[in-house]
Amino acid sequence: MKNALKLGTSLLAISLLTTAASAESYGPYPITEKSYSGDKTNSVSYSGQVARSVLVDSLKSLAGKGDGGANAAELEAQMMAYFKGSDDDLPIISHTDKDGFDIKQSTLHDISKGKNVSGKTYKGLVPGWPGNMTGPEVIEHMIKQAAKSNSGFDAENGMDWGQLIQKFALGAMAYNQVVDNYLDEKLLADNKPNNKPYSDGAAYTGKEHSWDEGFGYFGAAAHSLDLTPDQAYSVTKKKDAAAADANGDGVVDLKTEMVFGNAYYAAGADRSGKTDYLPTITSAFIEGRKLISSANGEALTDAQRAQLVAYAETIGTEWEKVLAEAAFKYAGSVYKDITKIRDAGSDEDRAKAYRDYVKHWGELKGFSMAIQTGKENLGGTAVRMNRLLGYGPVTMDESVVTGVDANGDFVREKKMSWNAYQLNMLKVQDLLVKSFGVEARANDATADLASLIKKLDSDSGGAETD
Amino acid sequence: MEFLNDIALVFSDFANPKKRVFVGYLLLSVLIALFWLVFLRKTPIRAALGKVFNKDIFFSRSSFADYKIFLINRVFTFFISPLLLTQVMIATAVYLLLLRVEVIPWGAFSGLSQTSVVIWFSIAMFLADDFTKYLLHRWMHHWPMLWSIHKVHHSATTLTPVTVYRVHPLEGILYASRNAVAQGTVISLFYYMFGDRVDLVTIVGVNVLVFLFHVTGSNLRHSHISISYWPWLERVFISPAQHQLHHSIAAKHFDKNFGAALAVWDWLFGSLHLSEDHDTELAFGLDASENSSEADLKTLYLTPFQEIGRRIAQPFLAIQRRFKRVT
Repeated sequence: MKNALKLGTSLLAISLLTTAASAESYGPYPITEKSYSGDKTNSVSYSGQVARSVLVDSLKSLAGKGDGGANAAELEAQMMAYFKGSDDDLPIISHTDKDGFDIKQSTLHDISKGKNVSGKTYKGLVPGWPGNMTGPEVIEHMIKQAAKSNSGFDAENGMDWGQLIQKFALGAMAYNQVVDNYLDEKLLADNKPNNKPYSDGAAYTGKEHSWDEGFGYFGAAAHSLDLTPDQAYSVTKKKDAAAADANGDGVVDLKTEMVFGNAYYAAGADRSGKTDYLPTITSAFIEGRKLISSANGEALTDAQRAQLVAYAETIGTEWEKVLAEAAFKYAGSVYKDITKIRDAGSDEDRAKAYRDYVKHWGELKGFSMAIQTGKENLGGTAVRMNRLLGYGPVTMDESVVTGVDANGDFVREKKMSWNAYQLNMLKVQDLLVKSFGVEARANDATADLASLIKKLDSDSGGAETD
Repeated sequence: MEFLNDIALVFSDFANPKKRVFVGYLLLSVLIALFWLVFLRKTPIRAALGKVFNKDIFFSRSSFADYKIFLINRVFTFFISPLLLTQVMIATAVYLLLLRVEVIPWGAFSGLSQTSVVIWFSIAMFLADDFTKYLLHRWMHHWPMLWSIHKVHHSATTLTPVTVYRVHPLEGILYASRNAVAQGTVISLFYYMFGDRVDLVTIVGVNVLVFLFHVTGSNLRHSHISISYWPWLERVFISPAQHQLHHSIAAKHFDKNFGAALAVWDWLFGSLHLSEDHDTELAFGLDASENSSEADLKTLYLTPFQEIGRRIAQPFLAIQRRFKRVT
């Protein structure tokens, strides 16, 4: 069954890729909502999702602003405003101008008003994090810890708050909203039907807007099919303004021209040349949206909805793989970092290697929790992944976080050897390959074995017969 | 120019110290042979030279077939090798299996010194290689379908160092796969236990034990220079004379001395035969009933396929015959 699904998905992907040659962009699409009487001509709208991506990225930037306690209360309040939303207009902290890369918007209200992260975060329990917390509670917990940390780094417990918050939210907010809501129940016939506006007076139908929101959360630039993986990657890094500025107005519009987190990681895996996540997912969104437009404001037929569900299926499975690829990559980084910590020649080198290790672990842990916020319960795979990673990494004194106390402070009641933890990283990579079929496999730790074999080059007349 | 490169590629084994026919090893074999004949067998030097460079052997029909097979198989190798299982595939699979099963704790022996790891690894690689060679060789003689393939090697009526290449391409595939499995397993096992400290003791890039095997005259196994060792040593290492006996046409020598470098496997599993006195010249080749040929390439390349095909078809034909009788 799973194989049949995979085959179907790849066939779909191939057919989608052929259309990708024409390099369509996501929108603009005409107004089909019959009740609309305004003067808009484009029914595409997902600025609310862009605003949420910006809020998450800004939270990551803020997480690094702690001074070790003195500004804790103030910073916590500031971060909470970005997490829970604010009536005041908030400055965009993550996406600011960089030489030659000018950004059109500078505050959240330039994008969309009244948006928050907390209301759209996975409501279920998060078993990968100690303390039996729901998605929003986990992020709040992380924010509190970040606010009192020194530059977002907690050496004692092995935490990098900016990484943990951002990577977890890529799943708990974006991925979860799409695969478990907009491209799930909102595709049912009587949920946000296509023959009614999404909300009274809106320029778009229920289905049009649901689909747009899904695309917005994914975080791809509307013109992503025009971008090579390298270009998409450099857009996020604010290094290639020309590639970003699709309409050539000299500024990068965060609403349509920026590549955010999930799409960025799709492009990152695609840079291996072994995968096509970004074009496959973007094309599925574009084809789905065109299908909805073609219904011209009438309710979708069962056949049309079935087709839409097939596109949603592609998006969901490919997206899940993107998260798995990212976790795979960082498990490999952590593996390498442990070797560096072990082999470090001086305390300074060791401290530096440890800092990288904690950062990479934060990304790994964040993605591993993110992938568990999908539509389906990952069952044993999730349990195994959570146990292999633990609540925290092995720290300098070989202790690891085992839980939180009543105040939400970490306790470390267990010790684990570096060796054993390094082995766990290999097992995590193995698990990700087996469970999600990751293909790009950046930082494959078993590649060490392959290079050893190459080094030995030991064909000692192996094929000689006597 | 490219043509010259291709030629160089075809003959590259002669320049590769990892191969038995490396010119250095061939030269040493000549010296060993002359030393044996002149000093130990008291042969006059001219006669010794005549025996070592015997044109009746090197220019025999059987030997010419060896040379042609060498060339043809090189072409096969270029096309087939990329399709074969590689050490990397086997090693990665075994490694992941070890990680899942965890019979031995990962990195449990990390206390062992680098020197010991390297020595043990070199020994393990050599033993695994030699033992699996023995095993596969034994099977090649034992199982009729494999024997159809291996017969090609035994059809040689004269032996020269090039006879090592006188094998059917299917045998080449079997031996290359054996190599990948044996070495891939040992490498992954050691990597699992000792991590990246694993390395080989090498001379000219070759495992030192393999190097020793070659510099002590591995090429003389396929020759008419019947060098034997003391009986006790022939229980540890296979002497050239013992391997020549393996090629003998005499029924009493059948299925003896399957070993490559070590004789211990033959000794352990009851297939050892010590060398006999030097004055009786052994006759090499196959019995006429084997339907093989010392020199006809068509027979050598195609008969194995025909015989295997017939063997596979046999049970089906039997069923068909029975069915006909009933109807």
